[in-house]
Amino acid sequence: MTTLMPPKRQRKIGRWILFGSMMVVAVIMLYPFWIMIITSLKSESQFLSGGGFSWLSWSTLTSVIPIGQEVLSSTIVCSSSILIILCVGLPAGFAFSKLRFRMSTVVFLVIVSAMMVPLQAILMPEFVNVTKLGLTGGYFGAILVYAALGTPFSVFLFSTYFRGVPDELIEAGIVDGLGYFGVTWRLIVPIAVPAIATVTVLQFIQIWDDLLVGLLFIQNTSERPITVGLAVLSAGRTTSIPALMAGSIVSAVPAMVVYLGFQRYLVKGLTMGIDR
Amino acid sequence: MAEITFDGVTKIFGDDIRAVDELSLHVDDGEFMVLVGPSGCGKTTALRMLAGLEDITSGSLSIGGTVVNNVLPKDRDVAMVFQNYALYPHMTVAQNMGFALKIRGQSKAEVAKKVGEAAAILRLTEYLDRRPKALSGGQRQRVAMGRAIVRSPQAFLMDEPLSNLDAQLRVEMRLEIARIQRLLGVATVYVTHDQIEAMTMGDRVAVMRGGRLQQCDTPQDLYDHPRNEFVAGFMGSPPMNLLRVGLEANADGIALVLGSQRLDVPTSYCSSHDLPTVDGPGVVFGIRPEDVEVLDASSSDSIMTRVERREALGAEILVHLSLVDAEGDNAVIVNDSGAFVARPTRLVAKMGPRSGVAVGDQIQVRLNREHFHFFDADSGLSLRRNQ
Repeated sequence: MTTLMPPKRQRKIGRWILFGSMMVVAVIMLYPFWIMIITSLKSESQFLSGGGFSWLSWSTLTSVIPIGQEVLSSTIVCSSSILIILCVGLPAGFAFSKLRFRMSTVVFLVIVSAMMVPLQAILMPEFVNVTKLGLTGGYFGAILVYAALGTPFSVFLFSTYFRGVPDELIEAGIVDGLGYFGVTWRLIVPIAVPAIATVTVLQFIQIWDDLLVGLLFIQNTSERPITVGLAVLSAGRTTSIPALMAGSIVSAVPAMVVYLGFQRYLVKGLTMGIDR
Repeated sequence: MAEITFDGVTKIFGDDIRAVDELSLHVDDGEFMVLVGPSGCGKTTALRMLAGLEDITSGSLSIGGTVVNNVLPKDRDVAMVFQNYALYPHMTVAQNMGFALKIRGQSKAEVAKKVGEAAAILRLTEYLDRRPKALSGGQRQRVAMGRAIVRSPQAFLMDEPLSNLDAQLRVEMRLEIARIQRLLGVATVYVTHDQIEAMTMGDRVAVMRGGRLQQCDTPQDLYDHPRNEFVAGFMGSPPMNLLRVGLEANADGIALVLGSQRLDVPTSYCSSHDLPTVDGPGVVFGIRPEDVEVLDASSSDSIMTRVERREALGAEILVHLSLVDAEGDNAVIVNDSGAFVARPTRLVAKMGPRSGVAVGDQIQVRLNREHFHFFDADSGLSLRRNQ
């Protein structure tokens, strides 16, 4: 004869199994970070021998590459690109979802289909164009390329988000005395914070971690971003692994901070439309 | 405060969809006008044109004597209450209510004073710091009202503001809105498809159908003297019984032909109505359910019916009756469902809750001879003179 387990106990066991599985996943995900931190706190000889603790790799990193300047460059490129993406994507998404105009569906589909084109496929034509414009030296060329690559996704995300906003809300604003600019700035932007956060985080991670565009379009060494700096560090005749790990930490921390800061909005923004 | 005039206003969507067709309607200063009609009748479009949210295809629309066809919504000085309230979710109740004043550049103190006054009228003072998310449906509805009244606009426009509330709250808010409107004395245009709201709230009610105004009158006049079959069938719950019948001459004058039965028409109707000739196409005869009375015995002015269905509503019973012939078979009378208004061949009667009628019973009913209605069989227009 078999005896059934009480439901409360079943639930408890289920929770422990879930907790255990999540722990395993967390260890797998966090292990590389742990190795990165530990390795960065060793000198090269300590790294090879296995034991000891030293700040040498951090001083090597700051002496070999201008890490501060590179972080600043990445920040400038990232924030400028995201600003353009938001400034274009938000009003465009609003227009596509709420305004009636000729060919809007076709134009929307054309813009959104640009999301499907991989960066590598258009890199060379873009490089030729940006070179002709004389913008390959400093930040501007890369900012324009990143903005162009990120805008279709943001238009898609914002228009999906605004489709969930009732038309009456906008009309209430208009009857209350706002124009379309006022409606966008005073009603739509505050309501769209989760969508803004989602676009910001996803684009930040993508742009911050990108090497290819920075390498091709920012040719002034004094303005190169952190990813290019790390590539230079690893491309030397002898690569210092601890210094590279230290650089990787510097590179990873801003992306993590941005992600954690916007996390609660991100979940809301990514699941929008599901609970409507 | 101001009066509102629609003068031949038409709205065409696309190439040929006439949402509103030649609407002419005048709302007096301080009047509560209800626009009522079935879905797609053009009532909401008319309201949106008044708010400036839809362009006017032709005709002229004026508020306070000024034609506003080309005036922006913000410059019309009207306030609108929406069906789903349209409260700004990121603002508190006080901010929602004061938003329009803030946009107009009024000082913080002035905004706070007006919001406080409106909140007191609407019993919202204790909720001023809450977000809409933390309010019940009734409270949200009151905030939407508050947002409208703080502006002291020339007119209130309300688009089915009670349709999202439960039945009990709807009754409460119906009284509340009517009270506030009378207190403020602002011209109000209220759109609903609920004829009970229309009857209980409006000083006058405008009934619309297919974009056209059917009749605009006081609620009681609409009920007692509908100008056409549609209004007769739309106003009242259950609606007026409408039967297409023939006319026949008898010794006293004329009688209605109801299958094999005859019902004398009082001679007074011959002088007050333009009844057609006895061998003409017939008329549509209307009688309200409350004017159908069950008799214990047969009388000269009664007709024989059979109970087909009974619906007990607690305070009353609705009894669905079919006309029968002498042999007890269902009487054949004209059922022209493709006409102006679909006319069933059955009668509905309102009876007292203790009425013992059962399905299948054959009963005599008397139709109240003082409240007969006659409509033209083709056009559906009332045949009453001096309307």
